[in-house]
Parts: sequence; C-alpha cells; structure tokens
Amino acid sequence: MDSDDSVTDPNPHHPDPSLDAEPATVEQMGSLTLGEAGDAAGAERPVGNGFLPADFYAAAGEIEVVEEGSPVSGDLAGPSSLGGPGACRERSGRGDALPSPSSSGYAGERGSSGGSSEIEEADDRETMLDDWSRGKRHPDEDDGSVSWRKRKKHFFILSNSGKPIYSRYGDEHKLAGFSATLQAIISFVENSGDRLKFIRAGKHQVVFLVKVPIYLVCISCTEEPYEALKRQLELIYGQMLLILTKSVNRCFEKNPKYDMTPLLRGTDAVFSSLIHAFSWFVFSNPKPKALVIWNPATFLNAYTCLPLSYSTRQAASAILQDVADSGVLFALLMCKNKVVSLVGTQKASLHPDDMLLLSNFIMSSESFRTSESFSPICLPRYNPMVFLYAYVHFLDVDTYLTLLTTSSDSFYHLKDCRIRIETVLVKSNVLSEVQRSMLDGGLRVEDLPLESSLRSRSLTTPELSSSQSGIGGPSGLWHFMYRSIYLDQYVSSEFSSPISSSSQQKRLFRAYQRLYASMHDNGTGPHKTQFRRDEDFVLLCWITQDFELYAAFDPLSDKALAIKTCNRVCQWVRDLENEIFLFGASPFSW
Amino acid sequence: MASRRRMLLKVIILGDSGVGKTSLMNQYVNKKFSNQYKATIGADFLTKEVQIDDRLFTLQIWDTAGQERFQSLGVAFYRGADCCVLVYDVNVMKSFDNLNNWREEFLLQASPSDPENFPFIVLGNKIDIDGGNSRVVSEKKAKAWCASKGNIPYFETSAKEGLNVEAAFQCIAMNALKNEPEEDIYLPDTIDVAGGGRQLQRSSGCEC
Repeated sequence: MDSDDSVTDPNPHHPDPSLDAEPATVEQMGSLTLGEAGDAAGAERPVGNGFLPADFYAAAGEIEVVEEGSPVSGDLAGPSSLGGPGACRERSGRGDALPSPSSSGYAGERGSSGGSSEIEEADDRETMLDDWSRGKRHPDEDDGSVSWRKRKKHFFILSNSGKPIYSRYGDEHKLAGFSATLQAIISFVENSGDRLKFIRAGKHQVVFLVKVPIYLVCISCTEEPYEALKRQLELIYGQMLLILTKSVNRCFEKNPKYDMTPLLRGTDAVFSSLIHAFSWFVFSNPKPKALVIWNPATFLNAYTCLPLSYSTRQAASAILQDVADSGVLFALLMCKNKVVSLVGTQKASLHPDDMLLLSNFIMSSESFRTSESFSPICLPRYNPMVFLYAYVHFLDVDTYLTLLTTSSDSFYHLKDCRIRIETVLVKSNVLSEVQRSMLDGGLRVEDLPLESSLRSRSLTTPELSSSQSGIGGPSGLWHFMYRSIYLDQYVSSEFSSPISSSSQQKRLFRAYQRLYASMHDNGTGPHKTQFRRDEDFVLLCWITQDFELYAAFDPLSDKALAIKTCNRVCQWVRDLENEIFLFGASPFSW
Repeated sequence: MASRRRMLLKVIILGDSGVGKTSLMNQYVNKKFSNQYKATIGADFLTKEVQIDDRLFTLQIWDTAGQERFQSLGVAFYRGADCCVLVYDVNVMKSFDNLNNWREEFLLQASPSDPENFPFIVLGNKIDIDGGNSRVVSEKKAKAWCASKGNIPYFETSAKEGLNVEAAFQCIAMNALKNEPEEDIYLPDTIDVAGGGRQLQRSSGCEC
C-alpha cells in the first residue's frame, strides 16, 4: 500500500465537493458593518442579567447592508482535490438514485433525502421506533448482505487488535473479518507514523478516529462534511466513555487480546439513539405526525433550555441549589433534551457534550423510566478516568431529575433530596409550567416582532403575529438557530410550515451542518458572515465574538431584507434572554 | 442471550509464501480448494464460527502474505492475537527451517504477555503431493522441533484433500480457550471532590 494521497491527508480540511457543484450563490459579505460595534466595546452593559458582554448588545444593533456581492472564492469555490466524479449535488433522493461507482463493491445509495430507494428510510420507517427501543437493528446482517452494504451510514468501534466492539448494523462477530480489515488499514498507516483521516471512494466517505487502543470508523454516503462525521465519531467515543470511563484502556494495556464487547452489552439502544440525533427522523405509527429528533447540539457545542418564565426557572434553581449544597456535585433538571435548570457545587459547569451524552443515555435507557435509578456514569469532559454516580428519577414522562455525586453509597441521601425537590417543584407549579412549555413549543418565526421598537416582551403572550401563517415568518424567514458563545447555549425556532416535511427538515439540517463546517474551517476561517442561496434555501450565518446566528429563508428572499431580519432575530432573542437561557450556571473555559 | 459469552479469537496464519496458508483457510472456511496459486497481498480476513462443547467461538482468521516484502506489516497485524498458526510445506525444507524465524518474529512483534506459553500450532501441509514420495521433512523431525518449543501441537494436513484441516482448527480454538484470562470485575476509579476535584481517590483500576 502506498501512501496514496487519497488515503493519508496532510491537509486538515478538504472542501466538501458537494459545495462546488451546487447551484449556489455564495457571497462574502466582507464589508458588512456592525453599527456601533467599535464604540460600544467597554461601554456599560444594559440592564438585564448583565451576563452577556457589552459586545453582544452592541452587535445586536442594526447591520448596515452593503451590497457588494463579490463572488466567492477560496474554500467554497475551489476545486476539490478528492471529489472527482464523486462530486455531486447535495440534492438527491428524488428518484434519481444512481448506483455508486464502487471500487470497493460497497454499493450504497446516494444522497441525503427521502428517496424511496433508500433502505433505511423506506423500509425501516414503520418499525423504527420498535427496533430502536429494542436496541440493535438488523442483527442478522453482515458485510456479505446486500442490505448491509446499502446502508447509508455505518458506525464501527473496534479495538486496535481488530476485534469488533460495536457496529450500528449487523452482528459484531459476523463482522469480525470486516473489522480486521479496518484495523489493518488503520494500523498500517499508524505504524508509519502517519494518521489516517478519511478515504473517499465514490460517494462514500470513510472517516477514521483513532483513540488508542480504540478505533472508530464511520462509512457514509450522506455527503456530510468530514468535520461533521468526525465530530459524530467523537461523540460516539464520548458515549462509550460515559458508560465505561477511559479505564478500559488499562484492560488493553494488560491484555491486548481483551474483548470489550461484554462490557457494552445492553447499550445498543444508547448508541442508536445518539446516532439518530445526528440527523435521523423517527416516524410514529400511524403516519401523519413526524417526530423529528435531530439535535443541533450534536454539532453546535451547546445545549438548549426549555423556555420558561424567569421566576419559574429561578424557583427550580433555588431548590436544586439547596440540595447541591448538601454534597451533590451537579443537580440537573431536564425535559427531554432541554434544560430546565442546572446547578453545580463546583466552579466547573457541565460541558454541553456531557449534557448531551448524559441526557441521551438516560432517555434511551428504558429502565430509567420505570423506577428511580442509581448508576455509575462518567462525564468524559469533566473527568474521563472516573465514575460518578447518577441518581435519576423521571418526574413525569419527559421530565427527569439527575443528581450526580461522587459517593457510591449516597443513594438514600439522594432519594431524600429528590423527594424534597419534587415536593417543591409540584407545590410551586414548576412542573406544570414545564409541561405547559413543552406543549407550547419554542420560538416561532411567525412571532418575530415586525419592528424592533415593538418588542415582544414575553413568550407566553405572543403578540404581533405576522398572521401570514403558512409561509413562515417575516421576510421569508423559515428557521433560525442562535448560539450564545458565553453561555454555551443555543436556541432554535420551531419548524415553520414551509419546512414541515421531514425531507425538507433533513435538507435544512444538512445545510446547517455544511454551513457550520465552512464557517469554522480551520484552513480559511473562521469567517464572520456568509450568505448563500441555493434551490432550497437562502442561508445566512453571522458569527461574532458573542454569538452565532444561523438562519434559513425562502430561496427567493431578498438579501438586504434577510440581513435586516437577522438583526431583528438577535434583538428578539436578547429581549427574551431571561426566558430562553439559563443564567447562573457558571461559565467555565474548557 | 447465551449464558456464557461468545468468544472472539484472533488467529494469525504465518509461513513462507506458497506453503498453502490461503488454501488451508479456504478449505476450512469455504470447503473449497483450487490448484491455482494466487499470492495473498498483505492479508486476507475470514470469519468462521465454531462450537466446542456448548460454547460458541468466532474465529477471526488473518491470512497473511508470506512474501518478505510484507513483513513490515507485522506489528500492526499481530497485536492482540489469541493464537498463531505456523504453516510449512513438508516437501520444502526451507519452509520448515523458516518456522523458527516466523515464530521469533511473531513473538518479537506481538510481544504477548507470556511468550513461553503463547498458543502456537504447527501445520505440515501438502502431505498429499506425489503420494508422499516427494516429502523432505519427516513427521519425526517436525514433532521434535515442536516439542523443543514448548510442546506446540502438530498436525499434518492436506488443504487439497481436506485432511486434518477441521481437527487442526478445532485444536486452535481449544488452545486459545485454555489461555482465556479470568474475568475480573471492571472497576474504574471514583473521584475525590474534597481533595481538589479531579484527582483520583484510589487507583484500583480495572482488574482485567
């Protein structure tokens, strides 16, 4: 084997070939100026929580539109060195699925959206929920099965001796030969002092993550950027550590033959649900209602809060703080993947990744729902080497309390804490407020105030609805995500009607993913703004020191209006910050 | 789910080029034989399930290339092997003489924790050729060598006829089984918050 340039990649980034071929108008808004930004630095902070830095407020001022429209260059338009004939348009799955030109014989389907020929989406839709809760899907498949080869996205965990540990599809033991092949490839490159990042084979991308003695591999034809897939592998590794800690490494030091599979027995559902959160959609039976479970936290490095009135969240935090003072490391109240309140005794706050992995672990393990539980878990970003102990109790079907401690014998103490907390939460109506907020949903683009002077002051009394139901928000705004860098939190709008279909939502997810990757590209970035138009959306991204805004508009939207609307979104978010963000969970630089 | 867990055994097949490593594996896994010689490039990987008593094993067989130019792959391939199969051609003296090199190279590169007792197995292949008239390595000589290296089990095989192939691989699984480490409790550390947050309290570690 030569060190073929398609195998070892000295350059950390390759432009996603799909970007080149897209009929996209990408424009750099190089001279977009932020009004007052310069003056406001160091200025006094407006009232509020005083938590957001001055720049935040300044930046939220009007953006001055400068029509420049310089065609773009650099990373986005440059020719891909690897794409070759594989460079294809992102839009697919509209009945135009082509057989993959495969040198590997691995003939997957192309594209990312809901074509009927895609095994995963078409065949599994009905039974997905069932299979999911049972754990592994299609355990009878192996690398000889046609269906296995057609899966659009595989994930593997193996040891550096080539023993399989986890495979998303198929039986690990039956895939022993395949796993050995992966190890041979990785180890070969590793031994020459190099590192294998990814291989492109037609439409397939094989992404490697080496965490000696563990290897992780993703094989995908979803056209997601390399960075996104690598991040997904990192999260899968983190999920494994959450269950086992990094002490597994010592098992391999003592015994390279070590077979780790038994240690992960029964956790298939945890990994499946995490992988689903990377982009998947679960359809409940019978059809019409689609439950979308994509979780922007998987690429945004932030968590999101359940919208609540400031006083309600304060009430929850107060009682959590009360127990935290009695020897609880972290007390966390969550509703699905949204945080109600979070309190810690220490200076350190929970890392968003740890929260994502912890909530995924809890929500995907059926046994937590049926009784109060006490389980050893590891927070990989807090300390990957050690176990903490988590007391978990579901207060209602979606809301659960997690108390983390370091002592393995504090179950009864934590149980007492929980009873105290639960009593207070019920008495002070926090729990009913939480349930109401779940039903109400989050921010709706339709509710975006038309004039920044007429500010919507409260979530609970939506005013100034644009009354244009059916076409999204003002100026063709369809969706947005806003991430506060200082708070490690994001807020995203509900899906408006133009993107109510699951295929449209999936396209949006993928578009955001690519936008995120291109904005954070190490080679050419980070960038401050980006405006792009393709046949699906107008996408606008704006990154400042304090926040990141991702917005999707109607593809025919006017650029100047879109920029104006983004300013209003920022203003709106700022007006609502007390309700949509959690303050007081101390920031900590990781 | 089975009461006792299924074991995965990593088996490395080594020996000079042309002694029949791939043919042995093909005979064992696919019950097929071809007279046509096809050099292995790097390594081939095959999987086979075996049952011994009431236990199920998966053999992950690494059929390596015999040519010297592939020797650099060693470390990468040998790591974490449960058993090593040394193959020679009873009709070629050199392939027998080289067994020692193969064995030492393996122990050097794989560096198993207990090299003295690492499970090897030796196969003298191609006993069918010319009705045995062209053979140059006697069974006695081979067995003596095996005895001198810590009583390595020895089998005379014919990949072509399928002679002894099944029995040899059965023995491989049995040997690896004997070497199975005791299962210990997996016990990572806990944290001591009072003592500074992120330091270890005890370092019992994982006892595997």
